[in-house]
Order: sequence, then structure tokens, then C-alpha cells
Amino acid sequence: MPGSSTSISKLQAGGGRITLSSHGGKAWISEFSATYPLKLLSPRLSDSAVAIVYVLTYGGGLVGGDCIELTVNVESDTKLLLLSQGSTKVFKDRPQQRLASVQRSDYASRSTPGQAPATLQNMNFTVSSHGALFLLPDPVTCFRSASYSQIQTFRASQDATIVILDWVTSGRKSLGEDWVLSRYYSVNEVLIAGKRVAKDVMLLENNEFDSDSRLNRSLAEKLSPFACYATVILRGPLVKETIAQLTTRYGGISIMQRKAPEDLLWSLSSIGSDKENGAVVRVAGKETEMVKDWLKNTLKSLEQHIGVDVYRRAFV
Amino acid sequence: MDDETFFLLLLSDSNLPTGSFVASSGFESYIKHGFGGDQNNRTTMFMRDSISAYARSALAFVLDTHRIVQDVCRDLEQGSEQKLDLDKYLQKIKEVDELYDAMTLNDVTKRASRSQGVALLTLYSKGLTPPLALTGINNLKETEIEVNSYMASLVAQYKSLVRAESAPGHLPICWGILTGALGLTSERSQYLHIFLHARSLLSASVRLNEIGPYNAQQTLLHISRSVIEAEVVRCKDLQTGIPLNTGVAGTESDQSDGFDEIFRGPANTWPLGEILAARHDLQHSRIFNS
Repeated sequence: MPGSSTSISKLQAGGGRITLSSHGGKAWISEFSATYPLKLLSPRLSDSAVAIVYVLTYGGGLVGGDCIELTVNVESDTKLLLLSQGSTKVFKDRPQQRLASVQRSDYASRSTPGQAPATLQNMNFTVSSHGALFLLPDPVTCFRSASYSQIQTFRASQDATIVILDWVTSGRKSLGEDWVLSRYYSVNEVLIAGKRVAKDVMLLENNEFDSDSRLNRSLAEKLSPFACYATVILRGPLVKETIAQLTTRYGGISIMQRKAPEDLLWSLSSIGSDKENGAVVRVAGKETEMVKDWLKNTLKSLEQHIGVDVYRRAFV
Repeated sequence: MDDETFFLLLLSDSNLPTGSFVASSGFESYIKHGFGGDQNNRTTMFMRDSISAYARSALAFVLDTHRIVQDVCRDLEQGSEQKLDLDKYLQKIKEVDELYDAMTLNDVTKRASRSQGVALLTLYSKGLTPPLALTGINNLKETEIEVNSYMASLVAQYKSLVRAESAPGHLPICWGILTGALGLTSERSQYLHIFLHARSLLSASVRLNEIGPYNAQQTLLHISRSVIEAEVVRCKDLQTGIPLNTGVAGTESDQSDGFDEIFRGPANTWPLGEILAARHDLQHSRIFNS
């Protein structure tokens, strides 16, 4: 692959690049590189119109100070499904520094004083004309006192399709963790033909510095009784049907006075000026599995665009 | 009495026609969905979470808009000879407004925010500009008259942009315009904005028969007060990240160099509140618009 070795040498620790190109009606990964602790895997598929890439980290998680920087280009007439393998686990810290020899970004030193160094994932996506990106990873799970920031920017052309799933869970259930992370910050910014149509910024934080305990509402209290929150952003020609289905279902809901909350709640709102064109779905569930099942069923109509076998790999 | 105290009294009048009486900011939906436990606690509980979420998402927008409007005043006072071009300030405000619109991914909240925003602009142009009959009677200095007339025309022009649907006209932005045009300091403006949010929640609670009117006053005085204080302190220095260098005098108010969005940008901190607010329209019967 010409040029790939030079782009690898330019990457700093945790950097990666993926470019999906079209060649004779087939999707072809023309650029594919990653440096430790980031790892990319792409299984061979029989249906070559779609490519799948698994975005992984060594050891299955991220520790304080890790910085992932991934650039993804989905070129014209190609479809890319990006997945993870198991939830992205964010640890507070690790006793010894990871790979002291590699160049680290200055991000680690930017965290608030007194806190463990933060973990940052920075992802830039470009989706060209008639291209489609399906970003359907497993949820992020922040362990006790972990601090995590994720910034995802999507630049798409007018007739491109993007499906973004971003979700977070309350922690390790087996250890009784219930929203005891220190800080979780996630941005999904969508620019269509250069114009910002959506910028979803979520910040979950345990404010431990409040002295007045009467005012202190812990994150767990604020988010109770739910253990998983998901945001889905849908936009473009290939999700028209999915949005139409959601709109019908949503319109059919009628709420009477309840004594206690339901196990799962979801909401639907539009993005951009054209209602048909984009939507934001938010889901909250008492258990992560409930949210996963809901998402899997709700997004099932994407099967027709990426194939049944490919869709089956998401939400496992 | 100093100007600022008088403006505070004026703007905290509950008769102010701002349309906030039809908004419950998601509280009606919260109750309907069975959240917050028993009736004794849920008003306070919702109020705390709602104030902290609203302050974190809106105050940066109040501050930045207020700064742009104050830049107009500053540039007028520095007195360049030629007529001041309001267009660049209007475009900046619009940019801030559009960012808020892109960050408010909730149809119900968007609708409520826009209708209350435009009501504030109307309030200013119809109710807070000096009446024509007074022209020449009160002994304002010439510069004050000039500032007043520029402010009136800034607000009027922004209102036409909103009417023409080329700017969204969201509540925090219009609040920043109004308080900036009146010359309220940004600290007072931010505090009053969150105070009014809290008071409007409590009056919604009274209308929903959750608490009585005496209890509402008691809550405002003894509980809301410290919550408002704490959240305003926490969020008063947040910024939208949009560079504000509109001034002819250079980049004095442009503080976005090296802006650390992760720690100092606006954010949505209460996803549950978002979902419930968005589901407002799904209630079988409801008395509020949001």
C-alpha cells in the first residue's frame, strides 16, 4: 500500500486512520493504520459493498491519560460499519505508566487538579456523497472515579447517511457501582455540507466539591432508576424509513398518570430544518440489556442497507 | 435608587409578559411519568436537578450574547466618527443563537425556548424603550440617547431576523440581548435568569397542585436561593466557544483563545430530564406547553 508507512510514522500513540474507498462497485479499505494502544480489525466479508471495522484497545480498556485519535474517511458509494468488541471500559488509573517510550499527548496534564488523569477519545469522521457510516459500538462503562472524554465530529455531504450510537452504563454491576464515575464527557457534532445541524454534548459528573450536603445531588440520584443512557443520531437517505417507523411508534404513545417510572423510556426529536431528514433518539433503561434489545429491534430496518449477516454483528 | 436595582425589580415582576407561565420545563411530564417519589419532595428534587441542568446548558449563551451587546455600547463610547454598523453584532448574536439551537436537541424545549425568547424581544421594544412622548423632556445626556437608540434598533433588527426565521431567537440569547441592552451587569443578568427559571418552576408546581403558594415562597427563600447561588457560581464563567471579536477596538472581549471546551463549554448534564421534557407532548392530558 503506497503511502501507508509514512502515515503510520506520523501517528502518535493511540492514533489511527481508516479510509474506505470504492473500486468497481466494491468497498475497499485503502488506508488502515493504528498505533498502540489502539487496534483496528477488519474481518473479510462475502458482501463486499460493506466493510466492517472493529475498533479495539489492548487489554480491552482505557486508562487514565490514554488518548485515542482516530480519523475515518468513508468515500463516495461505500458503507462502513464500525463496531467495538465488548464495552469500552474506562479505568481510573494504572499504577505504572503505559509504554513510557511513546509520545503522549498533553491531554493528560489538562485534567482538573486533584483528579486522576483523564482519558480522551477523539474521532473525526468524513462521509462523502452516497456514503454511509454506521457507528454501532458497545456502550462505554466508566469504572469508579474514572474520567473520560469523547469528542466525535462527523462531516457529511448532503446525501450521505450517518447513524451514530453513543451510550454509557452506570458501571460494574458486580461491584455494585452505580454512577460512581468522576466525569464523563461526550460530544457528537454533525456538520452537513459544512453547516452544523446538531451538537450533542453530554456531561455526567459527580460534584464532590460541594460542601453543602443538602444541595448535593449525586449522579446516581439524578439518573435513577436507570443504569444505561443511549443517544442515537440518524440522518440521511438510508435512514428515512427507520425515522418514519419511529415517528409512527412515538406518536402512538399516550401517557396517563403513573405511580412509578417504566423500565425503559425513549424520546424522539428532529434535527435540522427538514423533519424527514434527521432525528435524535434518546433511550434510558433500568438495565443495559433492555436498552440493547430495544436498539437492536428499533434499528432492524438498517438490515436492508448493510445486510442481515452484517447487522447481526452489532448488538451481540 | 441605582439603575441596576430598579431594573432587577422591574424584571422580576411576575406580571412581566414573557410567556413563562405556560412552561413547566418538563416538570409536568416528570410527575406524570411517576418520577420524584411522593408529593412532598418532588418539587424540590426536580427544582435542584432542573436548575443545575439549565444553568450548565444556558449560562454560557447568556454571557456571550450579553458581551456582544456590551461591545456595541463600548464601541459607541469610544466614539468613532462614522455611524456604527450593527450588522456584524447581529451576525455574531445569530451565530451564538444557532449554536444553542444545534445543541438543544429536543423539539419541546426548542419550541418553549423560542417562544419565550421572542416574547422578551417584544417586551423590550414595546415595553422598555422610552416612550416617544418623553423625547426631549428628560435630561439624558446625548451619549445616553445615542446608546438607547442603537439598542432599540439592535433589538428591533434582531427581532425581524427571528420573525423572518433566519435566526432562532432562543430564550438565553434573547435574555442576554435584553439585559445587555438595559445595561445590567453580566453577573446580575445570569443570576436573575436562573432565579426566574426557579420561580417559574415553583409557580408551575403551584398550578399543578403540587405545593401551596405559601410553600412555594418558603421554598424559594430557603432552598432555591442556595441552589441558584451554587449553580450560578459553578457556571458563570462558561463560554460557548464562539470567538466574540466584534469590537472595532480589537479583540478585547475575545477570550476564546485556547478555549477548553471539555471543561468550560456548555453541556447537557441531565439526560433523564431531557427525555422527560421531550416526552411532554405524549401526555394524554396536560395543562402546560412544555
